[in-house]
Amino acid sequence: MGVVILLVMAAGVAAMLTRKLPTAFALVLLAVVIAFLSGAPLTGENSVLDTVLQEGAPALAATMVAIILGSWLGKLLDETGIAGTLVRKIVEFGGDRPTVVALGVLAVSALVGTVTGSAPAAMLAGIIGIPAMVAVGVPKVTAAGTVLMGIAVGVPFELPVWQFFSTALDLPVDTVRGFMVKLFPFALVAAVAYVVIENRRRGTEHAWSLKSVSARPAPRRERLGDAPWYALLAPVVPLVLALGLDVAIIPSMLAGVLYALVTTTRPGEMNKRLLRTLYGGFEVAAPPLALFVAIGILLAAVKLPGAVDALEPLMKAVSPQNPVLFVIVFTLLVPLCLYRGPLNVFGLGAGIAGVLIATGIYPAVAVLGMATSYNQVFGVADPTSTQTVWAAQYAGVSPQQVMLRTLPYVWLVALGGMCVTAALYV
Amino acid sequence: MSASQAPVAADLAATDDLGWAVRLLAATPTHEHRDPELLRRWARAADAFGAALAPVACTARVVESEGGLELGLLARYGSRPPTVELFTDTIELAERTVDARGWRHWYPPGSVRAAALAHEAVHVHLHHGPAKAALKHALGHSALRLGRLRVPGHVAGAEEVAAHAYARTVCGLGRSPLLLTAALAAEAEAGSGTTPPPARDARREN
Ligand SMILES: [Zn+2]
Repeated sequence: MGVVILLVMAAGVAAMLTRKLPTAFALVLLAVVIAFLSGAPLTGENSVLDTVLQEGAPALAATMVAIILGSWLGKLLDETGIAGTLVRKIVEFGGDRPTVVALGVLAVSALVGTVTGSAPAAMLAGIIGIPAMVAVGVPKVTAAGTVLMGIAVGVPFELPVWQFFSTALDLPVDTVRGFMVKLFPFALVAAVAYVVIENRRRGTEHAWSLKSVSARPAPRRERLGDAPWYALLAPVVPLVLALGLDVAIIPSMLAGVLYALVTTTRPGEMNKRLLRTLYGGFEVAAPPLALFVAIGILLAAVKLPGAVDALEPLMKAVSPQNPVLFVIVFTLLVPLCLYRGPLNVFGLGAGIAGVLIATGIYPAVAVLGMATSYNQVFGVADPTSTQTVWAAQYAGVSPQQVMLRTLPYVWLVALGGMCVTAALYV
Repeated sequence: MSASQAPVAADLAATDDLGWAVRLLAATPTHEHRDPELLRRWARAADAFGAALAPVACTARVVESEGGLELGLLARYGSRPPTVELFTDTIELAERTVDARGWRHWYPPGSVRAAALAHEAVHVHLHHGPAKAALKHALGHSALRLGRLRVPGHVAGAEEVAAHAYARTVCGLGRSPLLLTAALAAEAEAGSGTTPPPARDARREN
């Protein structure tokens, strides 16, 4: 039966790869089929309807709330001009040296990446950041990659991600945080190396572009002045609270929202702005929310006793127990997390992680290490993930070009993460 | 994409060269919120700086290729290795546009290619020499002022304005290449049926 379940999973991956089915729908369908295959009853204990669908759907509720808050804060950073002011200052200070501007946008992207993820994060840092880099001579592929690498630097400290791994892998937030702190240096070094090396290799580029002037007067965005300097600290407020002061994730993020609000908004306009940005946040949070409902359902399915029993012997046979082999095998498997592959943690990979833990093949922390290492790769280089597609298209290049340029760097990050995991937990 | 389809109604030439330079700056990211008067001052300074530049020889390798219209580019300079790329299809369209609009007295035959080379030569010049600091000085923008400490600020897009002003001057053009650029942008838009930018719309699954 285990083989049949794996075949069904393969079919699910194929459906996602070929875009026959959106990932969220494919995952729910997979979950229901896996549940039936593993002999779950329709209702009652460990059943398809009551356990997999009813209990699975809200399993990641805390993550979903964190995502909504992150998107809300992201909208506020945009609307209040905080993100724009950061980029503008960087260009004013470093505009003569494209590498300096790129490093600055990298830093802003990292900050943004701690607040919110995927396409909203890329847009927040990239809408001004990418054309600003291009305007000072950073080539387009390098510019798109810089925003993505920057977001990946922030990801180890992205509070919704902590919440996700904590709930999905059933680990205390402290444990997740502990590993993320160890993963962060790899992401940081790789990102800085990317910016410095790529800018040196590709040099600067200036183009006589037809788009530089339009026959119509430039569409003015709402005229935002500079946000005051103390408002620029808003993105770090949640991080300082959660990382430094041990405050729980949701209150930390709420504090960030309030800080961004009171430092930029007149009291009379606060209510209106809060509601507008909250609802706007829901809109950008819709895709990840749908995905997290689906992942919760899938996790519930692969944790069913029948599924665990069926999959355990198979997974045991292919999972290396020796630390060196662990590093080699799982580092070589990195490409499987691209193109919505089976190791994509926000897809079937979550299910596989669930299986690895439920069957007791690896300790949950080792699975955390593996999953977060993959997360660092496809967050940047997967040409089908929204942030990569958005950043590439907005810069005017193809997602595949961005993947080829960034993959070597993030692959090394994954290698680093696997080494730490193997050394500590396998 | 024929020059005859040009929207003649839009009298682009009515906007003067400085006006086009201001529009270029306004369309450059980081200037979205700036006071139009400030942009005008910067445009004037950058234009004067470019017009006053002593003629510089283009030291970069020059290559020609097609595909500029697809990229929306007329020419491109890359520093590694120093190369100026001229897009022949865009340059041809530019020459046809000059005829169609009756602008030949401003842009003599062959002047588009010459202007492109001159324009990119400025980027080479600014990239390798001390001229960059001089341009910054001419603009007089401060990124930070604390008492007597003053950190000069970079003005994105100013180099582009200077490059166009230089090309206009050394090639003896009647009007700035920016006017021609605007006409080409209109051509390209009419030809491609205005593809909306992917900008703020990322409506896809995660
Ligand atoms: Zn130029």
